[in-house]
Amino acid sequence: MNSDERFENLRQELRRGSLPLAVLAALRTEHYGYTLRKTLAEHGMAIDEGTLYPLLRRLETQGLLVSQWREEDKRNKRFYRLSPDGKLILKQLLAEWKSIHASLENIF
Amino acid sequence: MELVDRYLHAVKFWLPRAEKDDIIAELSEDLRSQIEEKEAKLGHKLSDADVEPILKRCGSPMAVAGRYLPQQSLIGPALFPIYRVVIRGLFLYFLLPWFLFWMGIAIFSPDFRADHPGVALFASLDPWWRACIWSLFINTLIFAMLDRSKARRHLVNDWNPRSLPAVRDKNSISRGGTIFELTVVVATLATWIQLDAFRRVFHIFGTTITLSSRWPYCFWALVVVTVAGIYVSCLNLSNPRWTRLSASLRLGIDCYSFALFYWLFRADMLQSLSVSGVSFAEAATFVRSFNHWMAGSAIWVLVVGAIVVFFDVRRILRVGR
Repeated sequence: MNSDERFENLRQELRRGSLPLAVLAALRTEHYGYTLRKTLAEHGMAIDEGTLYPLLRRLETQGLLVSQWREEDKRNKRFYRLSPDGKLILKQLLAEWKSIHASLENIF
Repeated sequence: MELVDRYLHAVKFWLPRAEKDDIIAELSEDLRSQIEEKEAKLGHKLSDADVEPILKRCGSPMAVAGRYLPQQSLIGPALFPIYRVVIRGLFLYFLLPWFLFWMGIAIFSPDFRADHPGVALFASLDPWWRACIWSLFINTLIFAMLDRSKARRHLVNDWNPRSLPAVRDKNSISRGGTIFELTVVVATLATWIQLDAFRRVFHIFGTTITLSSRWPYCFWALVVVTVAGIYVSCLNLSNPRWTRLSASLRLGIDCYSFALFYWLFRADMLQSLSVSGVSFAEAATFVRSFNHWMAGSAIWVLVVGAIVVFFDVRRILRVGR
């Protein structure tokens, strides 16, 4: 494994840990899968469909998201948004994220 | 869109029954949105060649479906290290010696080769293959069952730092062991010298044993190796830790000893035997059988020697690190 591959593996590992937070934060506004992916990509958090949809399903099973199938532009789409539990967890996770960020800043 | 349908159908095959339709509907919507966006950008319908990279980027059907399934393993990370040690031990201390033994016999025993001509030689390895497959299967089964039982919790959670084994210095040499080794070697050498063992003819309990003319050379070679062994033992006694020098000397002595014994076993060392009440012909038959048996057993010297040398080399590498 060369240094580029090593970096890429570690980069993906780092981003994977932040994905649930990014998804929860983006779903403060209602989205369906494709627009959610586009929103995340526009903010520099590109995520492929094979990762996003299983993650959405997991978060919904944990009661952090609610979803609803609705027709839009003559096509059925599944819309996601934060549940009340999700809002609470997002708040806690954001505080944790800021604490980690501050700790890392101190270490650097 | 036929390519997309084929892709979705392939993903669907691997999905859990209850969620199949829901997942496929969502994934299908995403892929069609991507395709529509690209078509709008290019101003024409996408061909299969255009759709292909979109699907490839999405991932293989099995990998995509796998992400929706709970993470599963036959043997979980808690027990896997133990499983690995057991399998490694099984291979190193059971299957590998067996295989080396078979190889030794196949190479050095003409009788064995004559009994198993051609393909039959490899067929004689059949029990080894069976042992490999069965031992691997049974071990995997036991660990998979353990991983799903309450015993796993006991193994993983019920532990005490005080009950962990003490750290052993692999390079230290037990003084007791060295003293025992030294005593045995010195006693053997003294006995040999006292018995004038370099002679070729011995009279023991009314039996006259005559050894081959090669015996005196062999005797002095044995004396040399014994003296070298005493030197290494003294070295180990003064500094009870393996060093590169002492470990290399041990390797040299072991190589020399096993080569010497191999030669001794194959050298028809017993020349004649004279026992009162036993005819010359009977004694000669016994001498022939004895020498033949010794020559046939020489392979064991090589097998044991190979194992000893393996550990000696490993020790040198360990000391060198």
